[in-house]
Amino acid sequence: MANDETTKIDAATLSTHGKLSMFNQGLKSGLANGQKFTELMDQLIDTTDGETLLQAARTLSDFKLDSAYVTFPHQYQNADYYLIFMSRLLSMHDDEQAILNTRAHSESLYHVFEGLSDDYTFLYQVVDNENGGAYYHEQTTGENLFYVHLERRLLRFNSRAFTNLFINKLLLKGVGTDQINTVLATLINFGHYLRDDFGFNVDFNILDVDNAAKYELREANLSGEVVDKLFVTAAEHDYMLQNSPAGHGAEIQLPGSLVVDVFDAGQSQKADWVITVHDPEQRVSWFDVLLHFDFMRDWYLENIDALEIKADPLVFA
Amino acid sequence: MEKQSQPDLEQNEQDQPTRALTDSLQQKLDYLSTLRQAITAGDDRLIYELIDGDHYHQALLNEEPNATRNTQVDLITDVHPAISHYLSTKLIDYLAHEYPFFYYEETQLGEFQIYFGNWWDRRQFGKLNVLKVAFEFSQAEFNKLQKTFELAAAHKRFNTDGIQRISAANDQLQALIDAQDDRDRQKDDLRQQLKENGQRNSLFDSGRIKEERQQIIDQLTKLADEDEQANNAHATMKDNEAKILTLSKEDTILAYEKQAIETAFKSFENFNERNRSLYTDYLTTLIGKAQVSADGE
Repeated sequence: MANDETTKIDAATLSTHGKLSMFNQGLKSGLANGQKFTELMDQLIDTTDGETLLQAARTLSDFKLDSAYVTFPHQYQNADYYLIFMSRLLSMHDDEQAILNTRAHSESLYHVFEGLSDDYTFLYQVVDNENGGAYYHEQTTGENLFYVHLERRLLRFNSRAFTNLFINKLLLKGVGTDQINTVLATLINFGHYLRDDFGFNVDFNILDVDNAAKYELREANLSGEVVDKLFVTAAEHDYMLQNSPAGHGAEIQLPGSLVVDVFDAGQSQKADWVITVHDPEQRVSWFDVLLHFDFMRDWYLENIDALEIKADPLVFA
Repeated sequence: MEKQSQPDLEQNEQDQPTRALTDSLQQKLDYLSTLRQAITAGDDRLIYELIDGDHYHQALLNEEPNATRNTQVDLITDVHPAISHYLSTKLIDYLAHEYPFFYYEETQLGEFQIYFGNWWDRRQFGKLNVLKVAFEFSQAEFNKLQKTFELAAAHKRFNTDGIQRISAANDQLQALIDAQDDRDRQKDDLRQQLKENGQRNSLFDSGRIKEERQQIIDQLTKLADEDEQANNAHATMKDNEAKILTLSKEDTILAYEKQAIETAFKSFENFNERNRSLYTDYLTTLIGKAQVSADGE
């Protein structure tokens, strides 16, 4: 009780000594805060231990460097620590495709990719509400490619952003699949490292190569017409759309023992149309199919309102 | 009629009608037990002979029709579905080899739906009559296929004309939409002319002015009609696209069916020929198999 009373005393009523002492305390804690920050920075840029790296990034991602008595004129944004973390983690695995650049005359960072023109710059955007986390964001298109939450250890890829950026913006404007694939590989690897090194819960979404992956369609109760369209266009490209052995739906066999199914995986009462992609080595995702088979891609894009692969609705509304 | 009692008569000394009756019953028993044995022994050939002996003899032995061969067949009509179910196993094995594009679904005991192909939305193509070893194709579906073969000579598909007609309609609608700016300009023009026409006032020329006025109004009405059509065009075009999709899908299915038949039979004529001789062909195979296994013993 007595303690509470003293802290409540207005600064104006303090003695000179008391004021000086409070000022000094403020400085000390501000400096200690700065000291703490530099230690975390040391870890973030130099540690070779994964868990230390993650902890440093996590702490820095919502670190408040300035205090009432000590402010620092040169600072990076919280979002930049995500970027540094990502680059460090990738380089610990010898992946140097994502190049970390500094903007001239300011402390701010961004990624460009070896395989892409420098028109495309990537950085994190921190979520400003109680959920926290950050989106990996491409600046010219405004696409959020994935969402990451370091504390909750989760990563969510976003089919719409990948389709818009890599197919509509890049592939259809003449960028080669080789270039696109090197960028994709790095982003996918990042997901693998988070999952394998730190036990992150990762939804690869449209990029998932696992045969068991069921890509859920936006139109859960898919209209037969959309499948009819694939049937007709496939025939025009010398592929036959067959009845799916997986249930009500269709199957198409593509070169390389690649089998794509579109079928209703739902219960009798509630339709739940999904796409699956099977290949013997589990190296092909639905997104790879879109990159390599023009008629499948055209079909997907022309019917995107129905076919778009659902991303986690909690972070990609 | 009063019946005399004949206590001293032996049992084997029945009167003529009674003897005929017991004989007849014995024949029925023989027929049924032969059938039962044939089923137990898996002798499908014999079963076919028993269920329609007259047809069997005509088709395979080139004998004249003789209805007495089928005296007993009515005994088993109530178990026809079960017999059909039983016979279907070997028959469908055989058909799977000869007609690799047909698939069967037993919708109820002994009743088989035919599906043509295994492609998306394949057609129900009729029924398989197992007891008669005959396809009973759905006439409508068969006719479409026949037409497809006929049209192929002219490099046309079943719905080529229909699709062309609807596409042309859509092109026209699109042109109507595209011409909106033109029409707006024309309307402005005409309205201006109408105004000028109204300001002219000639005692001598009033007939001509009136006529001119009517012409302008007619043109404006025509343009308004076209505007209206253009406004509804998007919905119509969408409907038309759905129709084209339905027709294209049907063409695709028919093309697959045609291809399947050509792969297996070379021509539609051969296919029909085979269908007509299916009973004989199948039974001949069964006889051949029976021969082989008899020789093997």
